[in-house]
Amino acid sequence: MNPTLIATFWRQRLASPVRLVILLFMVSTPLLMVTAMPQMGVSALGEAIPIGMLFAVGMIGQDAASGVLQLVFARPVRRWEYVTSRWLAVALAGSAVVVVQAGGAWGVLALRGHSPDAHAMLAFVAARMLQMFGVAAVMALLSSLVAGVADLAVYILLNVVAGLGSLAAQAKGWAALARAADLLRTALAPAVEFDHVAAGGPAAWLTIVAYLSTIALCLALAAEVMNRRQLSYATAG
Amino acid sequence: MRALDGVSLSIAPGEAFGIIGPNGAGKTTLLGCLLGFLRPEAGRITIDGRAPDDFAIRATTGYLPERLVLDRWMSGRDFLAYHHALARLPRESRAADIDGALARVGLEPEAGARGIRKYSRGMLQRLGLAQALLGRPRYVFLDEPASGVDPAGVVLFRRLLAGLKGEGVTVVLNSHQLDQVERVCDRVAFVRGGQVQAVETVAAGAGLARVVRVRAADGAIGARGGEALSALAAGAGAELRDLATGEARFAVADDAGAARLVEALVRAGIPVAEVAPEESRLERLFLEGRT
Repeated sequence: MNPTLIATFWRQRLASPVRLVILLFMVSTPLLMVTAMPQMGVSALGEAIPIGMLFAVGMIGQDAASGVLQLVFARPVRRWEYVTSRWLAVALAGSAVVVVQAGGAWGVLALRGHSPDAHAMLAFVAARMLQMFGVAAVMALLSSLVAGVADLAVYILLNVVAGLGSLAAQAKGWAALARAADLLRTALAPAVEFDHVAAGGPAAWLTIVAYLSTIALCLALAAEVMNRRQLSYATAG
Repeated sequence: MRALDGVSLSIAPGEAFGIIGPNGAGKTTLLGCLLGFLRPEAGRITIDGRAPDDFAIRATTGYLPERLVLDRWMSGRDFLAYHHALARLPRESRAADIDGALARVGLEPEAGARGIRKYSRGMLQRLGLAQALLGRPRYVFLDEPASGVDPAGVVLFRRLLAGLKGEGVTVVLNSHQLDQVERVCDRVAFVRGGQVQAVETVAAGAGLARVVRVRAADGAIGARGGEALSALAAGAGAELRDLATGEARFAVADDAGAARLVEALVRAGIPVAEVAPEESRLERLFLEGRT
């Protein structure tokens, strides 16, 4: 991990007014939902993945497309270090936002007399934070493969494929296709749910191992892609 | 198609080495290989006995790319601080190193505080060079460093490169500005079709790099005789190369030197009718290489 790369990535992401406006919208709109429907609890916050996406899109591909990478790799920076720093930067930024959002939701619910159980709240926040680390790893891989912000398009496309596969499997009764679609969907959004643990149940070790394996595999593949990448900027020379 | 083929070069420590050649010759590809960005299919590149992407080499390398792309949301100082940190240079010397680098490339401290998006092309190039010089590198790779820079900047860059040579820094310079290459470099490789076609030593003629042809009315220049003309030229900082009836060839350092020579000739009563520059050695090499 390289603190300079992480800090600079955060500054880069927060330097965009458009991104800040979208972030504000993504954080505040679900909070309004919680305010309007306190009986739904924190589940009214909805999906956390878009928050991670906001930081993750183009995390590597934009640097590769713009030509910034040559200057970075002319310095003593290992390519795996660059990949993991980007991943960590996205995951930590996303985690910080989901914590702030959950804190806001908790405050709103407390004010409205629907104070959530502390254990359940903790499990909810932990799951969303882990989701940030998971989706950041997937996006690191996709962003290492395609230039610019095409990683978002690939991510959406893969989700659509998983959804269509699931529908086709249901219609035709193909169990293998249903399983494949489910695997793809799980791989695209690695997550660990703690509801069961918060309720006093045992930890879902298989899910945890699958989650960690997916992250490790994505990061290893992204690092390998970057290691193999030749940085050419020759146009007329 | 091979971008580079059969390239074999040795660059001595502290040498200023130029790479010239027409567009598409493979110069930038060669630089990319020297920097470890591109991996050749065959052969080996070592810098001080190590691979170009070895961290010990990376830590002592400065690089300015041809197409400089910067994070435009940063200020100039932010950009230099970022690269200072990436280069693992001591944090305690960061502010002083950045001030020094900005001053070295002729950028005011206020310019350093300004956002990069407000920089002109020339300022960006200066900032890029400041970045390359952070931490006093031992090896500096420059790809068209004076591209987009104003004449004052070109002179500054030339002085800077001469200063780097004086400090024993190994400089590899890829440039289309042949006069700059000729003045700065000790040796020059002419690359064409992915091959090094010639390696010329230019340092010996660096002092008087340009040759001008002077023609006088009525063959007056020939009538003066070689000895008198040599003395006249020496007084103007030039050198008589050869003399024919109607014209003489003089070696001069630069445009100002040519102007001094003409002034001296006119003052001596020689009716100068025409002064024309001849191609420099590199220009001749370049033009002959293209045919």
